[in-house]
This record gives sequence, structure tokens and C-alpha cells, in this order.
Amino acid sequence: MTDPVQGPELMEPPPAAWPGDEIARLYAEHSRAIYYLALRFLGDPQRAEDATHDVFLKAFRKLDQFRGESSARTWLYRIAINHCQNLLQTWHQRHVVANSDDAIWDHAPARTDSPLRVLETKELGQRIQTTLDRLSAEYRLLLLLVADEELSYDQIAALVGQSTDAVRGKLHRARKTFAVLFEQTA
Amino acid sequence: MKQESQFSSDEQHRHESGQESHHQTAREFATAEELLRFDAAQTVVPPPIAERLKQSAAQLAPPPRRAWWQKLFGR
Repeated sequence: MTDPVQGPELMEPPPAAWPGDEIARLYAEHSRAIYYLALRFLGDPQRAEDATHDVFLKAFRKLDQFRGESSARTWLYRIAINHCQNLLQTWHQRHVVANSDDAIWDHAPARTDSPLRVLETKELGQRIQTTLDRLSAEYRLLLLLVADEELSYDQIAALVGQSTDAVRGKLHRARKTFAVLFEQTA
Repeated sequence: MKQESQFSSDEQHRHESGQESHHQTAREFATAEELLRFDAAQTVVPPPIAERLKQSAAQLAPPPRRAWWQKLFGR
């Protein structure tokens, strides 16, 4: 994999003053959330590492453009989502149609409103990744965003460019689809 | 904030079979996001990212400082 640091983006001017403390604070506060989103959205630890590095580097360069109108977390998520979606497009890893998600639980015999029970947490990460990989990118992203308690539905809606009602509806379906697929990984 | 998330506490179940008894820990998650939240909490950010980031940041040279008259006239 090529080093993203060597890309043309190095030509972009960095912030006028390099706010070292601000960078350190942003990374300390949000790196786990950004890395987790990249990890589970892309499904590959190495790519997630690269993506997290690139996202924060982009953020640092554009720090002077961040005006505090949104939260830093939301701002970083926006950069991360764009970055990861571009990567998925580049790799032709997009899943098929979003509607195929619904077909999974429409005809599923399993109850989708029962709790997700996990007996063995050792391989939980693999089960979660397998489940997420089988979801559409849209449902995957929505579930990953709603898992962050710092985000409201309104913020999630703004991040994905949809209405809050649409997000609620899609999340309802995404949860059910996830439950069915997760059960199949047991 | 989100209202639909439901939280359930971890459950510990004891299973006994015949003369042998053992503890088995089961976790229940009411929703997918609760499961993902648990997963996220277990996830460790690889330390090399911070190191790479530090090196990348060091490569970014600060832009030339603008003269006072450029700042004044917005050039």
C-alpha cells in the first residue's frame, strides 16, 4: 500500500500556525471513535490504520477552517466518512443495493426483536465484522454512527445528508437486518 | 440525544450439567448499537498511527508568513 503521506495532498497548505496542543487534544479525544468507524466500515485493520492517519492529517491541515459550528467529533466524522466512502468506491467494494438488506429480515425465521446474546466474546469482533460486511454500506454506516453516544439523530442525519425521520426509519431496518445476520454468525 | 437505545446489563448464567458445574458468562445486547458500543470500547487504537501522524505533521512546513500590509489589505 502506498504511503498516503506521499500523495498530492502534501501540496495543500497547512494551517497558518501549527497548534500542537490542539492536535494532541483532538487525537486523544477522538482517535478511538474515528479508528473504530474506519475499522468496521472498511473491514480491514491496515486500511483502517491508514485511513485514521489520513483523516487526522486532513483535519490538522484544515484546522483553521473548523469554526466550531459543529462539534469536533462531527467534523472529524464528516472527514472520515468522505474518506472511507472514497476508498470503498476506489476499491469497488460497495455492496449491492440497500434494498437487499430488507429482504434479509423480511423472510427471516428468526425473531429480530430478541436481544443479541453472546456467549463467547473472544471472537466477537470477527462476528461483528462478518455481520457488518454483509450489510449495505449505508446501513453499516448508520449503525456505526448511532453506536456513538455523542451523536444525536439530528447530527447523524446531517452527516449522511438525510432527514432525521429517514435516518430513524433506516436504522430500524438496519437493526433488524443486523440481528438476523448476527445470529447466523453464531 | 438518542432515545431509542436500550441498555441491558450483562448477565451471568450458571450452567450445571451432571456432577460438573462451571460458570459461563453470557452477554446480552438489546440493540446492534449496544453491541457495537461494547466492541468499540474493546478496540485499541494501534500506537503506530500516532507515530506516523507525528512524522507526517513534521513534514508539513509552515507557510510563509504574510507581511503586515498583506494582512491589512487581505492579500
